[in-house]
Amino acid sequence: MRVVAVIPAYNEASRIGLAIRDALAYVDAVVVVDDCSQDQTFAVSLAEGAIVLRHVVNRGQGAALQTATDYALRFLEPDVIVHFDADGQMQAGEIAQLLEPIVQGRADIVLGSRFLGIEAENMPALRRLLLRAGVIFTVVLSGIKVTDSQNGFRALSRKAAEDIRITLDRMAHASEILDLIKVKSLRYEERPVTIRYSLDTLGKSPSNWRALGIAKDMLKKKIVR
Amino acid sequence: MLFQIALVSFAAFAIFKTWKQFSARKISKYWFIVAVLFWVVVAVVAIVPEATNIVADYVGVGRGADLVVYTGLVSLFYIAHRLMLRQHQLSDEMTELVRQIAIEKAHMSSLPEQTNTAD
Repeated sequence: MRVVAVIPAYNEASRIGLAIRDALAYVDAVVVVDDCSQDQTFAVSLAEGAIVLRHVVNRGQGAALQTATDYALRFLEPDVIVHFDADGQMQAGEIAQLLEPIVQGRADIVLGSRFLGIEAENMPALRRLLLRAGVIFTVVLSGIKVTDSQNGFRALSRKAAEDIRITLDRMAHASEILDLIKVKSLRYEERPVTIRYSLDTLGKSPSNWRALGIAKDMLKKKIVR
Repeated sequence: MLFQIALVSFAAFAIFKTWKQFSARKISKYWFIVAVLFWVVVAVVAIVPEATNIVADYVGVGRGADLVVYTGLVSLFYIAHRLMLRQHQLSDEMTELVRQIAIEKAHMSSLPEQTNTAD
């Protein structure tokens, strides 16, 4: 089974090396999409052995994920694509748990969750509250019940990767993926994953206001587009 | 009176510009007629605001001035909506372009370099 990890990255030169090394220990190839970083993200990723693509204009995390997926599907013949982060918050050692339901043929997509027993380290209380609200929002808007609607750690079978096309370029892609799981009637499971927040990653991650942006983008997609 | 003069002058200017564009074959005859009719109506409404009362009565709105405001508001909302859709479309096209450039470049750089075999 050929597993490809895809990593969207923006100004992650200081952390992406570790994330790539970590991922490469568990997957066959890592595709990084440098989303027009101003630092050495591209060079560092290349040096660490990843296949690196570069957006010449910043298009957002969702767009970068789709670019990496398109590349992988066209040239790498993956059986499974794993969405992984550049900032070291995710643990590549847990990829095997995400693969298991796909390997067993029970699921088309496996979603990581911070609320299935493994306590996320150093998660701010407000973030926790917003994530809970996100779960309710997802049930109402997309009719799909998950415990963590904004977790970026997930594994997609080739079929799911081909079926799910991310069109929301910025941060709302996690909600859009859940919406498409429902629309395309894909089989999904959740698995507990460990997310380690640190002062460094919290400092760089978008503010809690992004929750409003995600809700706005999803509503716009549902109602207007 | 000042309002009427300003609006009629603007309408006359707009018709003149439209005629120039039509003469230079930049717009079609159809669009020229539509634009001229629109500005003539604007001028007539400016000079004789009561004229709108006839239409207002017909569609069931109290005053002609109200009808103009309602129509203007609805038109502006529609235009804003169309512009937003267009902006989304352009953004999607931009993403696709950036994506294809990224994929092509990565693919080309992954191919083995061609050696020059010319004698």
